[in-house]
Amino acid sequence: MELKAQSKWRWLIAAYLFLAGLGGGAYVTGVVADFLGGEWVQISKIGVFLGFPCVAVGCLFLIADLGTPKNFWRAGMRPNTSWVARGTIIITTFMIVGVIHIGFWIWPFHALEDAVGARQVIGVLGTIFAVLTMIYTGILLGANRPIAFWSTAMVPLLFFVSALSTGIMAVMLIASARGGALTGQVEALARMDILLIIMEMFVLVFYLQATHRVPESRASAKLVLTGSVAPLFWVGVVILGLIVPIILELIGTFGMHGEGGAAISILASVSGLFGGLCLREVVLSGGILAPLRAGRFEFALPMV
Amino acid sequence: MPRYGFVIDLKRCYGCYSCQVACKAANHTPQGIDWARCVPAETGKFPSSLRQMLPLVCQQCANPTCMEVCPTGATTQDENGIVHVDKNLCMGCKACMMACPYGARQSVEDWKTYFPDAEGGLDPYEAYAKEKWEEKNGYGMATKCDYCMDRVKEGRQPACVDTCPAKARYFGDLDDPESEISILIKREHGFQLNPEFGTDPSCYYLPPR
Repeated sequence: MELKAQSKWRWLIAAYLFLAGLGGGAYVTGVVADFLGGEWVQISKIGVFLGFPCVAVGCLFLIADLGTPKNFWRAGMRPNTSWVARGTIIITTFMIVGVIHIGFWIWPFHALEDAVGARQVIGVLGTIFAVLTMIYTGILLGANRPIAFWSTAMVPLLFFVSALSTGIMAVMLIASARGGALTGQVEALARMDILLIIMEMFVLVFYLQATHRVPESRASAKLVLTGSVAPLFWVGVVILGLIVPIILELIGTFGMHGEGGAAISILASVSGLFGGLCLREVVLSGGILAPLRAGRFEFALPMV
Repeated sequence: MPRYGFVIDLKRCYGCYSCQVACKAANHTPQGIDWARCVPAETGKFPSSLRQMLPLVCQQCANPTCMEVCPTGATTQDENGIVHVDKNLCMGCKACMMACPYGARQSVEDWKTYFPDAEGGLDPYEAYAKEKWEEKNGYGMATKCDYCMDRVKEGRQPACVDTCPAKARYFGDLDDPESEISILIKREHGFQLNPEFGTDPSCYYLPPR
């Protein structure tokens, strides 16, 4: 019996999961930076400014994946049982708060520039929905009981850590690309990201280790580690997503500063962001439905 | 109100795929959609190996996971247990296809003709099928078996049951303890597929040999 992976949710959904996580992570980074004050407020503006557009573009990918996109507005109709519907409400709320936050602070209005308290209240409110957005992208997959590779609490955790890490990297990328005064802040972000990448490595190992309990998740792990998804996993996720950024960030933090430091942090961020996208695609393409069992026989479902 | 159910006798099925073809003819399903289908499996090693067919239909679960994950409200369940998709409400997010353990939810992007080399477009029979398909179903949306409710309302059996030459399929009322399927389930130890998913299917199988 050969178990085949699902083919319905692929790159478009991976891009959505990635961008939703990235937007949430960048926003949270921005709000935390706002509380630090001083030079950090510049970092905060970058983070908050990334939140809404990333999630909104992610939603466009999601809508592009729909079979009948004209009905997309119905996506939030059944939040009592459906995680797609709950997520729609979470993400919509996050986008509304994000737009208000950007609109009244950065562009076109500047009312929140001096009203630090009000800005931080909005930030905390937005952070709640940003965190929910990051976690929900994992729970969405976990709601599919027949797919053991997704139906585990490790997926929300993995996506959450990856979302925070990619969010920080996106902020680092913009801050470094703009150049100049923020090197101290970027180095602090890099140190934070090093910790997150180490955590992500542990979570990834535990995740793959925990998927050896039933035949379908064993098949998933095999597909990801040695099968057709393996190149994407080892090159995209492990090398470009984890090893390259952590090495570059270590060099940037302890070795090089100034101009070279900015180039290194840009390179680390681009590589890590691509890895985050690959991680979503790897998890999606590893999803295998449980075989149906009757007596001694196990039937693999065709064309799912 | 009855709760419609199926009994499929695995030791009688010899995998002729008549159910798959009959379903296609009765429901005008396009290429790529098979609401009723047969899946083969093997066990053991030669020379002591066995082959078995598993005929699948929508299991019309009492607790349908497809309905649970449906975000739009397009999926509804009748009192008789049949689960429907409303073509005007479905947005084609494919969440139900990931959540259904039985592969009962299927969708296609377009009508692909069976005769791509024929000249002058679809022949009248295929054009008729396409028209009938588009009445209740469509493209991009989730579609599924409804135990041929149109036929059942006329007092007939679902097409796959009518056609099965091995008499491996039975259709009836699970709530009636005297019905043929209730008696078969009790007497021959009928079981549901993968009960660990907690869906409580209305389709029962009688054990293979």
